[in-house]
Amino acid sequence: MRTNRKPLYQRKVFIIIMILFLGFVGIQFVRPDVPNPPVTGDLEVPADVKAIVQRACYDCHSNNTNLRWYDKIVPVYWGVASHIKDGRVDLNFSEWNKLAPADQKAKLWESINQIISGAMPLPSYTAVHTEAKVSPADLAVLKNYLASMVHSKPADTAAINAADKQYQHWEKNEPAITKLPTAANGIAYIPDYKNWQPISTTERFDNNTLRVIFGNDIAVKAIKENNIHPWPNGAIFAKVAWAQLQDKDGTTHTGEFKQVEYMIKDDKKYASTYGWGWARFKTPKMVPYGGANVLFTNECMNCHKPMAAEDFVFTQPIKH
Amino acid sequence: MKVLYSLLAACTLMLAACSDNKPVELYNTKAALPSSPKYNLDGLKVITSFVNKTKGTASTLYGNDLALKAAIEGNKIIAGNEIFTLVTWKQQEDDHWFGAKIPSDVESVEVVKTASSGNTVAVNYQQLNGKALDLKTDTSGQAERIKYILGQKPSVLP
Repeated sequence: MRTNRKPLYQRKVFIIIMILFLGFVGIQFVRPDVPNPPVTGDLEVPADVKAIVQRACYDCHSNNTNLRWYDKIVPVYWGVASHIKDGRVDLNFSEWNKLAPADQKAKLWESINQIISGAMPLPSYTAVHTEAKVSPADLAVLKNYLASMVHSKPADTAAINAADKQYQHWEKNEPAITKLPTAANGIAYIPDYKNWQPISTTERFDNNTLRVIFGNDIAVKAIKENNIHPWPNGAIFAKVAWAQLQDKDGTTHTGEFKQVEYMIKDDKKYASTYGWGWARFKTPKMVPYGGANVLFTNECMNCHKPMAAEDFVFTQPIKH
Repeated sequence: MKVLYSLLAACTLMLAACSDNKPVELYNTKAALPSSPKYNLDGLKVITSFVNKTKGTASTLYGNDLALKAAIEGNKIIAGNEIFTLVTWKQQEDDHWFGAKIPSDVESVEVVKTASSGNTVAVNYQQLNGKALDLKTDTSGQAERIKYILGQKPSVLP
């Protein structure tokens, strides 16, 4: 009996393997296109910095993608193609000239922070492309380069005047905005943030701003009760940024108000955006960032993604 | 089957190796302010925040509603019942963001309180130093510190 069954069983396996193999060969022809569009304006940095960026980032963040033979095998190739597509949308060093100088700078600092946190290059990518790994020595080169771009100097007349003008306007306490500006994801500017408790402050020397992070009552209570991992629903942060205004004796004050950013915790309502509602309002007119395009939240999420273990919050609150 | 099991085991091991085990530091414990009857930030609002890059310090000036209102009006008139509290921390690098500095150990808490009686307004100043919040007994230089604190222009918070 046994000897009669065995060949049948073996044949079944053979058929299954054949089907799988043919299927595997078949799907090889389902190939999304990964074109290398022309380079409009490449990243311009010193050669040693450039070499690291090219090696670690260019396969997904430039128009000079170098696909290896093993990248081209479906289904791996499908993942590779989608990574490249998304990667180029977020950051493309081959179209560097399309970004304003301030945005270029911000992208570089964001990128190095993604590298430091281990979020980039994607671990699944470096597992195969080991040469793309950023070593501690590479990181030191990148850090030194960015640190060399930081210059702190007393504020010029233009910055002082701009801050003064804004201050005078604000000080007069002109009628509050009657209709609250609303971001594309439905989050409205919350004017009460200034009456909340500050939970920390930051000096950002990468972009010359000073920041105060406020927490609403729910957030402050959660801090006191050690209940911030995860943060409870209803917790809200407001992060305010001002331009730095340095005086002659080294004190740097808050100058022009730049923006207020909110993170609103609701793990159900905002389940698709890491459990947080995101919004940024710029200038005292509170212009919603992103305009009518709800995709601005991708930017928020990409930047906060490395903080997943901290419930996507960068700020480490100060207890008092 | 054995092969399949060993493959499964290998995959599990690999996944385990990839999981992130770095300790999560939720609070800025260094900068925590000790609770003490000597000062109270509850209910106070932010007047302004500033840093001193030469000294490597970060400060936040808090005030009660009366103090905030007076500060916005330029502290031209000193009335009673105003409370200003200036907290100064040493700075530290932000572990979460290369390019940022955040508060570290508390250096001082300075409290200015005004009290009116009749036509006069008394301005009281106290400086508490370090994590222990030791009261500074040397009163020299108090007038300058009061002037400095009352001279701070509020941050624009629209």
